[in-house]
Parts: sequence; C-alpha cells; structure tokens
Amino acid sequence: MRIPAWIVSPAFILLALLAWELVVRALNVPAYLLPPPSSIFASMERSLLVHLAVTLGEALAGFLLASVLAFLAALAFVRSPTLERGLFPLAVTLKTTPLVAIAPLLVLWMGTGWSSKIAAAALICFFPVLVNAVKGLKAADAEYYELFRAMKASRRQEFRKLRIPFCLPYLYSALKISSSLAIVGAIVGEFVGATQGLGYLIMISSSHLETDALFSAIFAAALAGIAVFQLLGWIEQRVVFWQSVEAE
Amino acid sequence: MSAVLAHVAALAPPCIEVERLGVRFGALSVIEDLSITIRQHEFVSLLGPSGCGKSTLLRIIAGLIPAASGTVRLGGQPNAAALRLSIMFQKPLLLPWRTALENVLLPLEIEREGGKTSSLDVARAERIVARVRLQGFEGAYPHQLSGGMQQRVALARALISDPEVLLLDEPFGALDEMTRDALNQELLRIWRSENARLKTVVMVTHSIQEAVSMSDRIVVLAARPARLRQAVDVSLPHPRDCDSAEFSRIQGRVRQLVRSEA
Repeated sequence: MRIPAWIVSPAFILLALLAWELVVRALNVPAYLLPPPSSIFASMERSLLVHLAVTLGEALAGFLLASVLAFLAALAFVRSPTLERGLFPLAVTLKTTPLVAIAPLLVLWMGTGWSSKIAAAALICFFPVLVNAVKGLKAADAEYYELFRAMKASRRQEFRKLRIPFCLPYLYSALKISSSLAIVGAIVGEFVGATQGLGYLIMISSSHLETDALFSAIFAAALAGIAVFQLLGWIEQRVVFWQSVEAE
Repeated sequence: MSAVLAHVAALAPPCIEVERLGVRFGALSVIEDLSITIRQHEFVSLLGPSGCGKSTLLRIIAGLIPAASGTVRLGGQPNAAALRLSIMFQKPLLLPWRTALENVLLPLEIEREGGKTSSLDVARAERIVARVRLQGFEGAYPHQLSGGMQQRVALARALISDPEVLLLDEPFGALDEMTRDALNQELLRIWRSENARLKTVVMVTHSIQEAVSMSDRIVVLAARPARLRQAVDVSLPHPRDCDSAEFSRIQGRVRQLVRSEA
C-alpha cells in the first residue's frame, strides 16, 4: 500500500514528539530544562492565542509595509540607475546591521506598543523584497525590450506589460522568505520591550523558568511561520503559474 | 514568368535604402560603408559568416540601433516611423503569462491608447492565428506549446499589426529542419498572398539553402566590418524545386561567395 504524500510530514512530526516524550520520561530530565511535549500542550492557554494573534498582526503589518515600500524603491531604482548606485549601499548596510542591534532604538523611538514591532518586522523584510524585485524587473532578455521598442511601446507600457509581470515570480519568492522573517522581526521587537506577543511570552516565561510556556510560544511561532509559508506557496501556484524562481 | 517578376521588382519603388552605412561599437567597426536598396515586394536574405553584422543591420533598419554614419531611409523617409514594420527574432519571446491569442494581441494593445482591444481586434487575431495554422491553440500558454508552435505565435504577433515590412532575424533557426521548412513555406505563402499588406521581407539567415529557396535576392556580406560582398538574384518561380539544376547552380555560387569570406 502506498502512503499518501500529505501524511508523511505530520507523521514524522508526531514520531519525533513521541520520541521526545519517551526520552524525557525515561531519563527523568527536569521539566525546567526540557519539559515533555504532553506538559507543553497542557500549559497552552487561551492567552497563547492572543499573544500569537498580536505577533502575527505585527508581522503582517510590517511585511505589507516593507513589501510596498521595497517594491516602490525597486521601481525607482530600475528607472534611475543613479538612484540605485546612490541608495543601494545604504540598503545593504541596513541589511547587514543585525536587527537585535536596531530593535532597542526602535523601541526607544516608538515606545513599547505595536508600532516598534511593525517597524522591526518591516526592516527585516525590506531587503529581500528589494533585491529580488530589482532583479525581477530586469529579468527579461534584452531582446524583449527590443521587441517592445519595435512595437513602439511607451516606458509605462514596458513596465506594465513586460517588467512587472516578469518580476512577479521573483517578488513572490521574496515574499515567501520575508513572511517568515516578519515573524522573527516582530518577536525580536517584542524581546526588547512589549506587554504582549509571543516574544513577550518567551521573555517572561524564560525569566520565570516556566519552560513549558516558553516551549508553547516557540511551537506557536514555528507553526505560524510554516502555515504562512505554505499558504503563500499555495497561492503562488495559482498566481505566477508560468515559472517559479529561487529567491536570494 | 520569373523574368517578368524580376522586371517588375526592379521597377518597384525602393522600400529600404541603406546608404554608406557605418556602425561602431566603441572602437570596433561593425559595419562599414554599406549600401543596399531593397525594393517593395522584394524578399531579401542577408547571408554571411556569423558575427558579420547581419543582425546589427536588421536592428538598424528597425530603428533599434542608431547608425554612426550614413543614412537609412524607409519608404523614402529618413525615420523608421514612415512604414509599418515588424521584427521577429530567433527566440519566440512570448510573454509566458499570456495565452497564444493574448500574445498575438499584444502589438494592438500597445498601439491602442488605453490598451483596450476591441472584439474586432480579437476576431482579427483569431484569423491570423488560423493563418499560421494554430486553430484550437488560442487559449494555450507558451509552456504548453512546442518550439515550432511558439514561433508560429511569434509570427502571428509580427503579422497582426499588418506590417509593410517584416524583418526576420533567423526566425526559425532554433527549430529542427522539418519544422523550419514547413514554417518557411507558410511564411512564403503569407508573403505571396494577395490580401496582405506585407510587401517586403528582409531575413537574416545562416542557411544557404533557406536563402535560395525563399528570396528574390541574396545579399552576401563580408565579415568584420560588414561590407557588401555581392548580391545574387534568384529568379526561380515559386514553389522552388530544391533538386533542380538551376537551384543547385545558384546554391553553389552563393556557397562560394560565403566561403571566400569565412
């Protein structure tokens, strides 16, 4: 009998959890170091959902903000090489500076509310979208541009009918990457100063040695990341059906 | 019959006049002092060793590259806007997110202000798709079509704006020989059909046989920088018999000219 494909991955996860449970119980590992999955699931409360929703909301807002800004920046860069030469190094600097180093500044400037988390998520998402959008907007063969010029297409038509559709698969790969990064950004923002969210939950429960609550927050973050990634992949096959590209 | 045709062609008004053309890419002289006159209703092939500037010449005629010196006149006018002109490359260059029919409609969409095509335009695209024998594939996406079919779509797209001049840069060069022959025959059929506005075809090719079987005149270019080596008239009636003695004689002569350059 063949095993259906969709069942393989959940089955392995269940097996891993089972092994974890058995090993922790057999070796009598203290719960503050590594609680068994059963007590992690038991510790999950309704408030976990609220924290998860807060973090996801911040991540989504940051992700959308960054995607729009990065795509607009990419359009400007492709239109003006001077702008690209001038501003691209700045974007690289932003990318290479660790978010954990910038996050305290964001909280200092914007407070412990949601805006600093949105900014953190946006910062971490901006660069992958920018790089891939610029690459995508230039992705068509040189001969496509000759073809469009021979058809006497305007610059606007060239963007709308050639460059932007060519860019979509690149943009989409970048969005898949940034969607998981956005959750990381929001959590890092919450580490620095927050009153709710998964990052806040992780900080609080680790300082109280509530390791099972800590794990429940980690599980929630991981599940959310996987779910968003899968969702985007599912949409991708329907929107940019003609090709998929590997993002940088 | 063929003699009469050649006579008519010699009297037809010039369509593309290239005079003392020079092109440089930086320090490199690509084309030097090249003069060719192509008349209306002529099918001209550009032949020469690879890298000799044939494609560059085609792009200059299309107005895609500026000339460094000399002039190119289309329909007696110094700019490319004077004639309706379509270009087709070796790659089909279809937009992968559009169906075959939508790809064929692209030039009309670009031409129409606002980008909206009418039902008349669609009907016309359907007719042209049928003319390149792709009925039934209007809704197919490029990745669902074979290389030969993709190139048919590209040909239909080049024809939909009803061009007076068709510029072909090795249009079927990437296809297998059987497909290429079939497409060449259809191209000839379309060029010779009465109701098309298409008058003049300029085709870059590597294949001597293709040039002899298609063209009224074969322009053999000398290599680097490209100059006019010699023009060979082919006054055989269509359809041409590739096995006839006359065909072989012309083919042999052209081959000699090309060899002396390579």
